[in-house]
Amino acid sequence: MELTDIFSGSNGTILALLLTPVIGAILVTVIRQKRISEIVTISSAFLILVQVFFIVSRIINEKTITAFGNTFYIDSFGAIILLPISIVGLVSAMYSVNYMGRQYDNGMIDMKHITRYYQGFNVFLLTMLIVPIANNMGIMWVTVEATTLVSVLLIMLYFKQNAIESAWKYLIIATVGLSFALIGITFFYYANINVINSSDAMNWTEMMHNSKLFDPNLVKIAFVFILIGFGTKAGLAPMHTWLPDAHSEAPTPVSALLSGVLLNCAFYCIVRFHIISSSTIGPAFSSQLLIILAVISVGIAAASIYFQKDMKRMLAFSSVEHMGLISLGIGFGGLLGVYGTLLQIINHAIVKPMMFFASGTITQKYETKAISKITGVIKVMPATGVLFLIGGLALVGMPPFNIFLSEFLILGAGLKSGQFLATSLVIIFLVITFAVFLRHVIRMVFGNPSPEIKNDSMGRLAIIPVVILGSLVFILGVYIPEQLQTLVHNASAIINQGGST
Amino acid sequence: MIFSGAILLIATFGIVTRRGFADWLGAYRYQSIVLAAVTALIAYVTGIWEIYIAAGLTLVIKSIIIPKVLLYVTRNLEIEFKVETNPYVSLRASVIISAFLVALSYFLTQQIPFKSDPIVSTYLPISIALFLIGLFVIVNRRSALNQVVGLLIIENGLFLFTLTLTHGVSLIIEMGIFADILVGIIISSILLLRISRTFDSLDVGKLQNLRDD
Repeated sequence: MELTDIFSGSNGTILALLLTPVIGAILVTVIRQKRISEIVTISSAFLILVQVFFIVSRIINEKTITAFGNTFYIDSFGAIILLPISIVGLVSAMYSVNYMGRQYDNGMIDMKHITRYYQGFNVFLLTMLIVPIANNMGIMWVTVEATTLVSVLLIMLYFKQNAIESAWKYLIIATVGLSFALIGITFFYYANINVINSSDAMNWTEMMHNSKLFDPNLVKIAFVFILIGFGTKAGLAPMHTWLPDAHSEAPTPVSALLSGVLLNCAFYCIVRFHIISSSTIGPAFSSQLLIILAVISVGIAAASIYFQKDMKRMLAFSSVEHMGLISLGIGFGGLLGVYGTLLQIINHAIVKPMMFFASGTITQKYETKAISKITGVIKVMPATGVLFLIGGLALVGMPPFNIFLSEFLILGAGLKSGQFLATSLVIIFLVITFAVFLRHVIRMVFGNPSPEIKNDSMGRLAIIPVVILGSLVFILGVYIPEQLQTLVHNASAIINQGGST
Repeated sequence: MIFSGAILLIATFGIVTRRGFADWLGAYRYQSIVLAAVTALIAYVTGIWEIYIAAGLTLVIKSIIIPKVLLYVTRNLEIEFKVETNPYVSLRASVIISAFLVALSYFLTQQIPFKSDPIVSTYLPISIALFLIGLFVIVNRRSALNQVVGLLIIENGLFLFTLTLTHGVSLIIEMGIFADILVGIIISSILLLRISRTFDSLDVGKLQNLRDD
């Protein structure tokens, strides 16, 4: 490869996308000033957003982009994961200014922590950006493992007992889980080099190309390992135990990234291998496994939300529920089911950060995360209260908000594919979640606030990100832009190419 | 080759039975040296030069850098934190369980249709045994510091597993995996220091503030 090739065409596009957060992290490290770190991180996140929109518009026209030989490969499915990373990345960077700034002012953290935080933030974005564009499954695994390490560093920013405990559990469970995933990837690679021995055998496109010739028994074992491994990272029950701890103890902007975006990245890896496995042995095997884990996830989430006393843990368990629904949709399959699932991925990635931001502001105002001690948010902070209520309604699938549509499509696909038992169980769990989640939210939003709440302004950047996400919730509930429809449609075709149940 | 595999297993049992931190770290160092030798042997048999580099990296990173890093970050820990006094299953019983896990992994690998290849048939069961023993050690040990050894054993098992089955994924990815491990070990040791400072103990049984009940 000539040196000039690195900067031209698709190579240049990918390189620019990945260099943006790298430069951001370097600038933050060198300058070490609070205001400038904030500006650098927001601009880096903004530039990423612009570039992702550029890449996605190219994907809509050209369907795929490859770069650096075949090392990077973006298709419509990868683009659907890229979109939420960039959107949530930007709003989280904006929210960080206010949230971390307030903790800095209160003396909870000092300048060293601020620098460390923004370094970690940029690197975290970088690792997540590589996952959906890597064609080489080895690189994909390495970056997923890297997301664990970076996010552990972000969680252990505070010296609090709870933060350290959750960071330790997260590190051990996720690392052990991902070692299962590496075994699964090695099995797929082994199946592939038995067919063709080329240096590209680790690439997903190459595996897909040869998938019809794989040994069926090997593929079955491999997929089980993949599902356990990346399922741990995606928060599917019963491997979800680290999730509520880590997501509730992280700084709120990081919680938003963990819940809204990182879970999708991990689930994306499962679906990549689901596609290969479906092509080799038909979709029935992997779909059944996905449906079983999905039903367990939604059920455990419903029970845990019922008993929950901590607001952020409640939101974390709601993430377990939604990852369950996403897994359910992929398991049900069919064009409509997968279409709904991909919408669900985007919708959840918008609503969950919105809820985390609102709850972060509420936590800072009330100085507690306990649901029972928070009352009358709407009187103390009218705008945040209203948006928190809207987010809560959207999260449980109330029309006319966006999640209603995608959940409806997923459950419809379940009935259509004849999975009556799984569908009816999930509907029961969803009804329970609906009731208990809304009861918690309504109790917090209405009622009379305790008089000790300080009457100070939370700052404009505490509310702007929530408003941005809130308006997206409204828009996507009633109208899906034509470009997004094309993209989601193409991506469902990719996921369904192994045939549907 | 059977002989080298047996030495690797013996070295692993050496780690399982060590109570103190410095003892198992030494045993881990021996295991890594044996692993590097096995890697070089596989490189010689297959004739792939990249595997020699992997062997060299294993020797440098696992038998020198990782033990040094762990010793350095834990130098201020009190001695009582470093000794596994009360594992869930006694160390004597864990030897029997580990032996059982070795037998299990030989049984499991016979169920999977692999090409008949002397390297695969010798080392694959051993790599899976290392993986299972590592999992068992993590679950069994109470001290957070001694849980790290479980991760290290798992990682050595994974390395051997990918190496035997695929004769090494490409060098860049091996490097990435090595870098991940190294950073992971550093982060976990920083966390260990903080656990010992804030909880005044390294007993993971005491890490239970976060529960739903």
